[in-house]
Amino acid sequence: MTAYAAFARSGFLTSLAYRNEVWANIFGKLVQVFARVAIWLAVYAGTMSVDGIGIKDMITYALLGGVVMGATRHDRIVRQVGTALKTGDVAVWLLKPVHYPLYMLAVEAGMSAYTFLLAVVPTIIIVALVYGMLPPASPFHAAMFVAFCGLSFIIHFLVAAIFGVLAFWLMTIFSLDWLLGSLVTLLSGLLVPFWFFPEPFGAIASHQPLAWLVYYPSAVWLGQLDIGMTLLYFGIGLAWAALLALALTLLWRRASSRITVQGG
Amino acid sequence: MTALIEARGVSKRFRQHKRFPGLLGAFKTLVTAEYTEVTAVSDIGFDIAAGEAVGYLGPNGAGKSTMIKMMTGILVPSAGTLSVLGRTPHQQRMANAHEIGVVFGQRSQLWWDLPVIDSFTLHQRIYDIPQARYAENLKRFSTLLDLTPFLDRAVRQLSLGQRMRAEIVMSLLHDPKILFLDEPTIGLDVVAKDAVRKFLAEINRERGVTIILTTHDLQDIETICPRLIMVDQAKLIFDGELHRLRAALGSARRLTLEFVTDPGPLALTTATLTADEGLRKHYLLEREDVSLVQILGEVGSDRGLKDVALHEPDIEEVIRTFYQRRNAAATVAP
Repeated sequence: MTAYAAFARSGFLTSLAYRNEVWANIFGKLVQVFARVAIWLAVYAGTMSVDGIGIKDMITYALLGGVVMGATRHDRIVRQVGTALKTGDVAVWLLKPVHYPLYMLAVEAGMSAYTFLLAVVPTIIIVALVYGMLPPASPFHAAMFVAFCGLSFIIHFLVAAIFGVLAFWLMTIFSLDWLLGSLVTLLSGLLVPFWFFPEPFGAIASHQPLAWLVYYPSAVWLGQLDIGMTLLYFGIGLAWAALLALALTLLWRRASSRITVQGG
Repeated sequence: MTALIEARGVSKRFRQHKRFPGLLGAFKTLVTAEYTEVTAVSDIGFDIAAGEAVGYLGPNGAGKSTMIKMMTGILVPSAGTLSVLGRTPHQQRMANAHEIGVVFGQRSQLWWDLPVIDSFTLHQRIYDIPQARYAENLKRFSTLLDLTPFLDRAVRQLSLGQRMRAEIVMSLLHDPKILFLDEPTIGLDVVAKDAVRKFLAEINRERGVTIILTTHDLQDIETICPRLIMVDQAKLIFDGELHRLRAALGSARRLTLEFVTDPGPLALTTATLTADEGLRKHYLLEREDVSLVQILGEVGSDRGLKDVALHEPDIEEVIRTFYQRRNAAATVAP
């Protein structure tokens, strides 16, 4: 276990090695969040509420999207896992008494923690000061929001890692990375919350795993789910995470046995 | 004593999706499921005892890396049995990992963006090395390979020679019983090569670490490995001490005799005359057991012999001759 803690620490330190990225990151995130807020301000121009959702809720939603999704970079995971498999560099990892997917998870946790502290938090503070942000609906919702953020990170990682492993068989890493990017933007609720989706797309979207990336954590913060529903959806999210972890394990085993039997 | 590594009839065949050339061929490749089989290692067997240093030599594509990968457990043999430290490597890869060290000349195991020392501490965590042992090994190896000046530098800023030295030190930190090196001196300058060779020879001698290294470079083998395994076109062609390679591959010594006056055609039973320049005559010594004294005895003291030059082919020449002969045979055969 100490090895994985050390990996997380090394992920954090690796990020620290590229100090200029901190500023580029903060600037990039500011632009993104401002853009999302600006879209909602335009949509709400003149009206105080659409379908029962107020403008304050929407600004908060736009900011929360940045909080939960801002730190994890699925493109990095897809690229690293995909490249390691395609070039055979993963052989180096098969030689160590370490599980590569867990190693990746630990490193990504360290890197995300770094981005979260040094880019996401400052960005959110700046934007919140400019536009104002609603507090969590209750202490329970605040606590559950933190738990949902952890779950969001895990599911985000698992989906990205699965895409990375698929690159081994399917196509170029670039196209898979691009595909995942579009899927995440649309299906996580980052751009548009599902309550604005026409039915049946809203219902479908709120039951697929990517919904746990942004939509549910934000809905919990805003208090749109009561205590029972919050726990229920947390449970469903955990089940999705378990299913994805199983899929990743199976795919990973197939890919690494392809490498060991056929030499890649 | 039992062997540390035991290979019996080990083979490795790769199946490659057949590709057709050209634009039409590219489409054909999409729909066909034809495979070509490539044999990288064919029926190879050997025993390696604890404390040995073995050089695994062969030209590009002879199956050297494939064999190393099978011994470390990241490739599964197609046929034959392989046992390393009493285990089947690919089935007990994790258990094996703690007792072997591996260095790939062309693939870095260090963390690119981190200082060298951070890679080492990560390695310590991965292998659960006790702090005292780790500190002692680090100090000793860093001194021997002169790593101290750049331990704090990020790996991406190192020269190839510095990086390679760091790779080797890292692979030894957990006190492996066997060290596998796949072309450890590739691309290094003369000084770096020399440092690496001396270090490996010392580690083998002092700590009794068994070393198996693949290389194209004969100097590596001459400095580090008393024993040589030579492969060519997937097959084992020689296994034994380096100095016996010449005899095994049938390269003969050459002898030149110089006379004050031309003694005329001079045939010897101990050597074959290959060229006669009158005053200077060239012979080939096909038999290994013939000594210079015997030859000189046969020539006798009354023929005006002025000078004698015995030419021992060096290993490189022996191997070159071998490959040339093989290629010639291949072109003659249909």
